[in-house]
Amino acid sequence: MLHRDTVVSDIAVHRPKVMAGIFVAAFVLFTLMGLKDTIFGALMAPVIGDPAEAGLFGNAATGLVLAILLTVNIVLIAFLPLRYQIGIVWLQLLVLFLTFFYSFDLKLSFIQTKIWFMITQGLFTTLYISAISIALASGLAIIGAVAKLSSNGFAFAIASFYTSFFRGIPLLMQIYLIYLGMPQLGFVIDAVPAGILALTLCYGAYMTEIFRAGIQSIDKGQWEASRSLGFGFGLTMRRIILPQSMPLIIPPTGNQFIAMLKDSSLVSVIGVWELMFLARTLGNKDFRHMEMLITAAMIYWMLTVCLELIQSRIERHYKSPQH
Amino acid sequence: MGIRHTFLSATLVVAGALSGTAAFAGEALDQIMSSNTLKVATDPNWAPQSFLNDQNELDGFDVDVAREIASRMGVEIEFVTPSWDVITAGNWNGRWHLSVGSMTPTTARGEVLDFPGVYYYTPASAVVHNDSPYQEIADLNGAKMAAGISTTFELYLQKDLTIDASGVPAFDYQITPGEYRSYETGAVALDDLRLGDGVRLNGVVGSLPAMLKAVENGYPIRVLGDPLFYEPLAIAIDKGDAELSAKLGALIDEMRTDGTLKALSEKWYGVDYTTALN
Repeated sequence: MLHRDTVVSDIAVHRPKVMAGIFVAAFVLFTLMGLKDTIFGALMAPVIGDPAEAGLFGNAATGLVLAILLTVNIVLIAFLPLRYQIGIVWLQLLVLFLTFFYSFDLKLSFIQTKIWFMITQGLFTTLYISAISIALASGLAIIGAVAKLSSNGFAFAIASFYTSFFRGIPLLMQIYLIYLGMPQLGFVIDAVPAGILALTLCYGAYMTEIFRAGIQSIDKGQWEASRSLGFGFGLTMRRIILPQSMPLIIPPTGNQFIAMLKDSSLVSVIGVWELMFLARTLGNKDFRHMEMLITAAMIYWMLTVCLELIQSRIERHYKSPQH
Repeated sequence: MGIRHTFLSATLVVAGALSGTAAFAGEALDQIMSSNTLKVATDPNWAPQSFLNDQNELDGFDVDVAREIASRMGVEIEFVTPSWDVITAGNWNGRWHLSVGSMTPTTARGEVLDFPGVYYYTPASAVVHNDSPYQEIADLNGAKMAAGISTTFELYLQKDLTIDASGVPAFDYQITPGEYRSYETGAVALDDLRLGDGVRLNGVVGSLPAMLKAVENGYPIRVLGDPLFYEPLAIAIDKGDAELSAKLGALIDEMRTDGTLKALSEKWYGVDYTTALN
């Protein structure tokens, strides 16, 4: 809801002109799509005869029926309470989406043989790399935020250089630079630590800004009161400032975790066997690329849906009364 | 898989050269022997050379050759799977010792890698869609052709292919494409060709074994005529370890002479691709 006001008007889908417009647009679009040779045409066979010979009439008739169904569907949904509207539209989009994938002629038995490995090896690796990286990045972000807020020129310069550099270049490039560059300095690190290091440094830079904003949002009076009670910097930070800024910091940090989960797919380029790597590799022998890509996409999606639910719960928990 | 030499790997080569870390003479061999492990880099995106099999383990012609090399050296084998760009960029720093990855030994790669031995040769062929009217290679003049980016196949279509290994027969440029497109990999080009003749492409040039594999998996394509040329494929090691190079070179010769390579080639390709050609 953007903003509730008290102006009352007819809802759009109950205005005849709007509905007529939608109907005509749908009819033209469906007709032009030439749907007589699809499953819809097959269902229309009693009316249009053999779809292959039905020509423009077949397309138009199929288009007409679909346009009527769509229009009636929209009008009916509009009568329902908001919650049901949302649920039904979600469900319909999901069914459309699945039909879309189904039309690719995917081989489900192939997915079945591979999905367990994708979860135990791929998803597991993706999750543990992301979890370690987000934990390390949080630590880095606190240090970075304190440095950025300090009056020490060196600390500020180093921290702002760090955030500027790591926010300024693509993550993929950081992964290559770290994996291939560290050995030049004499540290030959494996692919997994290199990936974790790159994700940590990149997300640490973004989260430095989140932490900085969170700390800055605390009223100056809190600092002054704390100082006047004789608290030192560390104690003020730990006991007064951070606990109050957590409600502002944690929700965006959760978002960063969700984003990192997807960005961790980039470490597949250095040969870490995580979800994306397996998605690209497993289908190769049998030329079943689409099956594996879609399966991995679904796993990522399910995972982010779960995390988003947790995220909204955390946000509700931290929602302070004054907001 | 030809020369997949991208801008990235070129950059990496330059970066490596500037940083000036010279590779270690004899060191890699010592490392292999003292750790009793041969680490082999392979990119499992190239069936039937290297891929994940039904048990989700590495398998394929290259993988078998690597296993054979390790067992003849009397050491354990361990595989790592960095991307092809990273492998061809050199400067491996001992992360892995050997690439058995069907690599074409080119001059540019020779600047960062050593090639101890050529272990087989693959024929390159043109394929077209089943429904197309083309009957012989000459029919493809003026057609819409494609290949993987910066592969030997692309260089062939651009008439700019130099292979500087011995034992490779001379070849002519038999196709003058009307329009040329390059793809990230040959597999993507095949996905476009399967849409139909002329929908996006008329033909693709690639390695014959990979093309036959695609046909086997139901791609509606057919191989046109005889192979266009043969490309030598070599094992590669990081630049500068002459002892390791000599040892591996001798092993490859031994495996060719005693028929091991031939047997492996017949196992994976059904044909002997490992010796001289005609």
